[in-house]
Amino acid sequence: MNRWLDRGITLLLLALLGWAGWSMLHWLLLGADWSVVTTNLPLYAVGSFPADQRWRPLLWMAALITLTLLTLVGPKHGWLRRWLPLFWIVMAPLGLWFLAGGLGLLPVGTRSWGGLTLTLLLTGGSGALALPLGILLALGRRSDLPVLRWSSAAYIELMRAVPLIAVLFFGQLLIPLFLPPGLEINRVLRALVAFALFAAAYIAEDVRGGLQAIPPTQREAAAVLGLSPRQSLQLVVLPQALRVALPSLTNQAVGLLQNTSLMAILGLVELLGISRSLLANPAFIGRYLEVYLWLAAVYWLACTAMALLARHLEVQLDPARSAS
Amino acid sequence: MTVAIRATDLVKSYSQGVRALDGVTLEVNSGEVLVVMGPSGSGKSTLIRTFNGLETLDGGALDVLGVSLDATHGERQVLAIRKRVGMVFQQFNLFPHLSILDNITLAPIKVQQRAKASAEQRAMELLDQMGIREQAYKYPAQLSGGQQQRVAIARALALDPEVMLFDEPTSALDPERVKEVLDAMRQLAKGGMTMVVVTHELSFAREVADRVMFMDRGQVVETSDPETFFSNAREERSRRFLNQMQH
Repeated sequence: MNRWLDRGITLLLLALLGWAGWSMLHWLLLGADWSVVTTNLPLYAVGSFPADQRWRPLLWMAALITLTLLTLVGPKHGWLRRWLPLFWIVMAPLGLWFLAGGLGLLPVGTRSWGGLTLTLLLTGGSGALALPLGILLALGRRSDLPVLRWSSAAYIELMRAVPLIAVLFFGQLLIPLFLPPGLEINRVLRALVAFALFAAAYIAEDVRGGLQAIPPTQREAAAVLGLSPRQSLQLVVLPQALRVALPSLTNQAVGLLQNTSLMAILGLVELLGISRSLLANPAFIGRYLEVYLWLAAVYWLACTAMALLARHLEVQLDPARSAS
Repeated sequence: MTVAIRATDLVKSYSQGVRALDGVTLEVNSGEVLVVMGPSGSGKSTLIRTFNGLETLDGGALDVLGVSLDATHGERQVLAIRKRVGMVFQQFNLFPHLSILDNITLAPIKVQQRAKASAEQRAMELLDQMGIREQAYKYPAQLSGGQQQRVAIARALALDPEVMLFDEPTSALDPERVKEVLDAMRQLAKGGMTMVVVTHELSFAREVADRVMFMDRGQVVETSDPETFFSNAREERSRRFLNQMQH
């Protein structure tokens, strides 16, 4: 009796799924007009970067993809393996510099930056800035100096109490006030800094969790070997704490990537910004579904790559792995 | 004979007014093996942890290898002592994120500024001496407790210490793993190392110790040669403890 009910429910669910799948397929093959995506691929990739300079963001993204693949495959050569972390660290700053007109190339204002390039630059740049800041805040929160401890805690609590979009607006309006007159930093950099300041508070809490997981006996063992408190932190405690915090840090990184879409509200034309401006174009009116599906696919791809990298790193750092 | 450690009237109290050390006076000569015994809570672990500054003192005077550590000592004295005194803990406390070889070479490279190659060569010699050379490239989690503790001994020896402190080194081990660690310690004692060993291993104390010190409630009850201590202890309290240990 129960079995018949189970079968009935299964059949019903299958029918529903089949119907949904069929209509989706039908729309994808016959109803959808993908020209809004196909004709604008360059825009999605590099924004309105000058056509003759497009090779610069494209080259940077190719380098990023190469680096990702290389890391996942795990290079055989010892020196390449050693240099990989360094490559990751310099990737975002190098990108900013290369796009802005480093190496004596034609300077290109950030107004023309956009698309996936901008999304990745914002994610990478703010992440690279937020991680060390977050670690410092986490250490500050556990410091013996009351002033340092209180100010770190206050900063973290404050940042977590304010919505990201408010921080981003503050960043656009406030950062220029702190700079000497005449010196102006551009919108992209301002957004990047505000974004990093926000993310650092969350990263700090993840790192603090990692630090708490390391038993005090590890510090003792380091101390009796004559390591200074700084060496003990740097060589014994932090590497273990970051390993513990890695799953939550991955979460933050994925969140960082998704949240770059908020910059569209500030007028930056990253992935979402491009999409919104395309949808405002009379030629592509009403193509919401195509644009947002495409957008979802791109974000999904980028997030999956990040998740794979993080998983790879976790396995690499697993203390119980067999020696290779 | 030179004195390696001289402690005079050491006092250490915890917040509730409990005295972990209540006027402990002792001398450890160079090349001597002193075994410290006593019931749990008697202050024996606290005592040897004062010898390298892991515990601070509230009173008394301590001289370790010519460096004085009293209630007012600074970081510099402690660091000077730690470079010359090795310590082995009950829970091994190896660094789980480093390979066995890296565990041993970390301090020689970072503290003594030794070249990597020579530090690694010395580490391999020590692992050889401990009988676990083939474990060099594994990680602590892959080793048994007895092997981990021998790595911990090798790690402490890598700094060429003049004194070795052992804080219940076999208490966390399976019974069948105790012997391999004690054997390593025997070998070390035979080589003339100055050792202070907190342990409950009666046979080790009887066989290896030059003197046995018995503590209770933060005080030294008696210090005797092992022969006297085990067959004819002077104090009633020591005899009661030994009786309990043997039954």
